[in-house]
Amino acid sequence: MRPLIVTVLALALVIPVLLAGGLIVRGYVRTSFHQEEEARAARALAFTSLRLQLDEETSVRGFAATGDRLYLEPYPNAHAIVPGTLARLSSALGTLGLPGAQAAARDALGTNALWERTVARPLMTGRARDPDALQRRGKRLVDHYRDDVRAIQDAIGVVEGRIDADAQTAIERIQLLGLAAVVALVALALGFWIQQTRAARRLAMREREAAEFRSAFEAEKRVADTLQEAFVLRSLPALAGMSFSATYLPATDEANVGGDWYDCLRLPRDRVLFVIGDVAGHGLDAAVAMNNARQELMSAAVFDAEPGELLVRVNAELLRQRARMVTAACGYADARSFEFSYATAGHPPPLLVEPGRAPRMLQHGGLPLGVLEGATYRTLRIQSVPGAVLVLYTDGVVEHSRDVLAGEAALLDAVGRAVASGMRDIAGSVANEIFKDRRVADDVAIMTVAFSCVDVRDGRSTASRAAGTPNVSGRTIA
Amino acid sequence: MSELESSLEVVRFAGELDISRRDEVTGALERAKAAPAILVDLSEVPYADSTVLAELLRFHAQAQANGRRIAVLIHSPQIARIMDYAGVSATFPVFDDRGAALTHLTGTNAT
Repeated sequence: MRPLIVTVLALALVIPVLLAGGLIVRGYVRTSFHQEEEARAARALAFTSLRLQLDEETSVRGFAATGDRLYLEPYPNAHAIVPGTLARLSSALGTLGLPGAQAAARDALGTNALWERTVARPLMTGRARDPDALQRRGKRLVDHYRDDVRAIQDAIGVVEGRIDADAQTAIERIQLLGLAAVVALVALALGFWIQQTRAARRLAMREREAAEFRSAFEAEKRVADTLQEAFVLRSLPALAGMSFSATYLPATDEANVGGDWYDCLRLPRDRVLFVIGDVAGHGLDAAVAMNNARQELMSAAVFDAEPGELLVRVNAELLRQRARMVTAACGYADARSFEFSYATAGHPPPLLVEPGRAPRMLQHGGLPLGVLEGATYRTLRIQSVPGAVLVLYTDGVVEHSRDVLAGEAALLDAVGRAVASGMRDIAGSVANEIFKDRRVADDVAIMTVAFSCVDVRDGRSTASRAAGTPNVSGRTIA
Repeated sequence: MSELESSLEVVRFAGELDISRRDEVTGALERAKAAPAILVDLSEVPYADSTVLAELLRFHAQAQANGRRIAVLIHSPQIARIMDYAGVSATFPVFDDRGAALTHLTGTNAT
């Protein structure tokens, strides 16, 4: 589109310039042609005035020498038109801008009249006292007349020379203009061609880049998807006295393959380690970073460390690896004591629902992992009750609208309803409720850890066994 | 006050700050880091994600290590909450009032 606009603009510029140039040259030629006509007419008139004067003179001289009246025949005719001819000549010379020649024409008219009065008429009437002297005077006047006309002819000659030169200049200008037009058109055509070629090359390059980018992106997304699926498909533990649910929703936007994960690991003495985390960013790198963070947490848990200590270790390890920033919440749930112990690192607060109480956000704190050397993480303990549900989630759950406070309110609401309805897949039902009419802008992971209402220490744990089966929902259940 | 003005560097951002603007944030903070007192003005920022906060955290740690004073001005409750998630609130000199932030930076006895 752009080359076309440039061409149109160039044409819009070149065409008026050529037109104006053509008009100027045309006016120039017309003026010079007109002047040439005038000069030709003036030259003819000058010639006629010479001839008429010659007619008059020969008539008078012939008659004076012979006395034959036949000689006088051309005289009246010539005499009648001399003044008119000289007047026309004078006017033509005025048009040609020759005031000097004009004066010469007037002078010639006067000389002619003087000759007619003082020479021709006395000779023709035969009253001349000294014909010879009169003849000599006549010759002087005629010579003067002829000098005037010759001066006029010379002046016309100069004008004609100038007109010729002007005509030559005009022709040169026409040629120059023609050349300029040709050059401009050629340049225009060349410019247009170059632009077309460039545009075509650019387009081809962009298409190639887009194709490469697409295929690279698709490949990465495939790998990241696969990794993500492998991570989240793991089954949740089954043990008496506890039940779990989890869900993972990938971002609707294909570009956002995220780094959210959760883990739940059965430990001896009816305990579980639960972890939920989120690696900053998306894509393959994030997926790999996520796996690292996850391995670190799981292996640190082998030492039976406190949640705060786990996070300290993982933070140090992530900093050593110069890995991405990770936010996480991790902890232990003890089905025998109904105690949760946990720590968070830059992660949204866990949420607790206990029978007969409204859902509440738990205390939290601690910097994200992999940001600052020597960050400390506090282990927090909650002595809870049978039937309590701990809800862990990633920021996608509350930051869907970028109004975190509204997001938290919606989450508390959804959790309260899901727990009250008594359904086993709490995580899935919460996600469904929150995202039934919202876009999943970022990855979303939710995991719940619940103590059964039956006390496992009494050995009455049949109901909780059924509830302890893995219960994974969302995309991952497919 | 005039002494403060001359030694104070204000780093101001506007609009939502997320991972797509991380380089911009890092660059702006990097340019300001030599000043003895730095005010990070997020009063025009309605939202900032955790990656941006992580940059702020790193910057704050570095500034502290180099004996610089730093204050962060925040008006959005959203950001305050996200900072809260990040556990930053306790660590970080966060203010919702410009005057208080400046007082903190001057080092005078302000509470």
